[in-house]
Amino acid sequence: MPMALIELHNLQKTYRVYQKKEGLRASIKGLFKRTHKEVQAVKGINLEVEQGEFVAFLGPNGAGKTTTLKLLSGVIHPTSGTASVMGYTPWERENDYRRRFALVMGQKNQLWWDLPAQESFRLHQQIYGIDTQQFQNTLDELSDLLGLRKLLSQPVRELSLGERMKMELTAALLHSPEVLFLDEPTIGLDVVAQHNIQQFLKYYQEKRKITILLTSHYMKDVAALCKRVVIIADGRIQYDGSLSGIIDETTNRKLVTLQFANPITDSLLESLKRFGDIVQQEAPRVTLEVTRDDVPAMLTAILDAHDIDDLIVEEPPLEDVIADVFARVSKASDEEPSLDEGS
Amino acid sequence: MATVTSGQPYHGSRVKTWWTILKISLEERFVYRGDFALGTLMRFLPIITQVFLWYAIFAASGKSQIEAYTKKGVVAYFMLTMISRAFSSMPGLCSGIALQVRDGEIKKYLIQPIDLIGFLLITRVAHKLCYYVIALIPFAFVFFLCRGFFENGWPQASILCAYFLSLVMGFLLGFFIEASLGLVSFWFLEVTSLVFVYNLLNFFLSGHMFPLDLLPDWASEFVNLLPFQYLAYYPAAIFLGTIPPEQVWLGLAVEACWLIAFIIIARVMLNRGIRRYSGFGG
Amino acid sequence: MAGYRPSYLNVFLTFARNSLVRDMSFRTNFILQCISTISWTVMNIGFYLIVFQYTDSIGKGTGWGRDEFFVFLATTWIINSLVQTFFMPNAQQFSELIRSGNLDFALLKPIDTQFVISFPRVDWAALSNLFMGITLLFYSLYQLTTRIDSPLVLDWRAILMYPFYIACGTVIMYSVMITLASTSVWLGRNQTLYNFWFYITNFSRYPMEIYKVGWGIALWAFFTFLIPVLLVVNIPARIMARPLNTMTSQMWQLACFAILATLLCFLFSRRVFVRALKSYRSASS
Repeated sequence: MPMALIELHNLQKTYRVYQKKEGLRASIKGLFKRTHKEVQAVKGINLEVEQGEFVAFLGPNGAGKTTTLKLLSGVIHPTSGTASVMGYTPWERENDYRRRFALVMGQKNQLWWDLPAQESFRLHQQIYGIDTQQFQNTLDELSDLLGLRKLLSQPVRELSLGERMKMELTAALLHSPEVLFLDEPTIGLDVVAQHNIQQFLKYYQEKRKITILLTSHYMKDVAALCKRVVIIADGRIQYDGSLSGIIDETTNRKLVTLQFANPITDSLLESLKRFGDIVQQEAPRVTLEVTRDDVPAMLTAILDAHDIDDLIVEEPPLEDVIADVFARVSKASDEEPSLDEGS
Repeated sequence: MATVTSGQPYHGSRVKTWWTILKISLEERFVYRGDFALGTLMRFLPIITQVFLWYAIFAASGKSQIEAYTKKGVVAYFMLTMISRAFSSMPGLCSGIALQVRDGEIKKYLIQPIDLIGFLLITRVAHKLCYYVIALIPFAFVFFLCRGFFENGWPQASILCAYFLSLVMGFLLGFFIEASLGLVSFWFLEVTSLVFVYNLLNFFLSGHMFPLDLLPDWASEFVNLLPFQYLAYYPAAIFLGTIPPEQVWLGLAVEACWLIAFIIIARVMLNRGIRRYSGFGG
Repeated sequence: MAGYRPSYLNVFLTFARNSLVRDMSFRTNFILQCISTISWTVMNIGFYLIVFQYTDSIGKGTGWGRDEFFVFLATTWIINSLVQTFFMPNAQQFSELIRSGNLDFALLKPIDTQFVISFPRVDWAALSNLFMGITLLFYSLYQLTTRIDSPLVLDWRAILMYPFYIACGTVIMYSVMITLASTSVWLGRNQTLYNFWFYITNFSRYPMEIYKVGWGIALWAFFTFLIPVLLVVNIPARIMARPLNTMTSQMWQLACFAILATLLCFLFSRRVFVRALKSYRSASS
């Protein structure tokens, strides 16, 4: 079977973190003897990504998404495990590999602060050895797509956060990478800028058929762009599949919203509690969370007993489902036996 | 957040705040322990080259004394300037203030009832105290080893008092001069060059590089009019006895005048600067 | 596909150009820096003029009279300015990159990492030090070659070896600098390291003869053979300031050793650098 474009086998990364205790006395002690803790940022990730896929890594802060991307970019070495991207081992940092991929990190700037972006781009051209004509073509295309024409000659420090992010994206794509890693690209941006960047990424990926790995904790990024979602929490992959699949797999609850024709009484509410939990209540509507299988029976019973003006049955919001997954995972990890406390 | 109730004396909670700030600053210093251990040892290194240079100068000159200094006296001088500098040098003070003004952190001093100069002074005291505590043993050890260079031994009690007073004033003078420089950043953002020029002047005119007695007369007169000599030269000269006892207290009085002048300058600059800053509607 | 190699020369020229554009946009600062540097050199000359009021030479029988010593001083400034112009801002930035985790970007580029962190910033203002050094050099050489009492005769070999050994000295300084900067990976915050650099280079600023007194020999040996900063200024200055035929065989041996030392220092710094990259953590997001 041909190897996937990106393959990770049991990738692990453990950090040693020195602990600082509170208080003056402890600080003085810290001069002579330090305690440290082993933190497993990535606990064993197995993943395969084919060429042309657009995959999202979703997960709470500290889940290991960024660490995974950094391992794939060769920025850090793993503690154990293997990875291969386009046939290269990332942390060997071969020039050939580095010329074929790009990493963009939200809120981190690599462009020269005091100079126009144009100058930083020219530097990129030299470093990546991009042919002049091709460089100009690519730059024109990108600046048109992102609406950056007029901003190219302004010092980067004068640009807004959104504009700077677009410049970073441009810089990353100038050498036409085949693989693009995006680490929280829309973090801290306003809604319009986020939308712009999402649109751009969607268009660019479809046109160029490049492989993109995106990390985010914004649902909107993911929903807009990716068919495949990988949930990473507590250093492990918790789920790998389609977005809608998350709901099917992780929850069997549905939200039922009832709009009553008559005023809602306390006894009515009591009777509703039989079927499920009351999630929201704003007369004349009541929203219940009900187990999927109970829904038909519940509806029959209520429609028989009461006058209903409106009825909505829907999936719980994706954010809530995912937040549940995260919460469940972090609870499980709290109960794990504690790791080495060495000194 | 703690509030001052009518029953609590205002000064009480103020002292508590200063104490907390002091504690936090001390903690902060201890965090980077690698930094700490090396830094203390390293302060002795430049003296070594000075000693060799001056020995070579004496050797070639054939003289046993240059101005008021014998070969050993010069070494004693440089060791003493190390102590004076431990009191009067304010690394990062000037550029720290400039950075705060540039980044707009100054705003918090407009809102919170904390005085910028007072706060900086307390944190600086904390840093210095912390440094002295750690450095005391290595310093004492080195001075004990090198006691042979101090040919005149300990000065009289009254001169010794004057010496300690000059050290404390040197600390305050150094602080207020550099604070004033930093406060210039309310008007001119780029103070780094100013800091460099100040450090340059400081290095030569404070006696850090060579004993000011070696200057030709015309230069001496000029340098005596400046406050820099109190940051390194003056305390050392007091201890070594190269200044006649009657003049010691006179010199300290002049130093006190300089100190008061810079306290006022710093105050005025802070007030004017804050008014100017908030006037910008930042 | 053969390994990709960018044109290092073109990349460096772009670095230099970008730095110049940037420095020119902060014109006042640039001018102030030039003035500061020049003031520093003037004050240094002033100090040594004072010293030479009291003595004829530095060290008994070392041959470092006033004008010879000024050649030495000029050599110090020349090497110092090269280090300041090309490497100092980059070494400081490197420490900062490690601390803030922004070294990531350098690691992503298809170019040697040590190159891309050693050359991006060129501090054009520091060239004023070079200017002062060359001026003092010519002035002192003029004084030496035109004095009545045994004037110096310039040997063409000395003139060739001088810039060569200046280059060696610069490489040694660079290697020490990079080694120190790399240790930020393990030691964290770095003001002390920067001070350490200053203290080490302080030893290099004086004729090595002054250390050959008493227990100073240990220092002399340490800074000649272990951390060879004493060779940096001393070798070229000695070759230029005094007639070649007065060079002792020990000095010639040291001059040959200096070449070896340059290579060893550079290779050592390279190893430390590569090791540091392996331990690099990258800041958390």
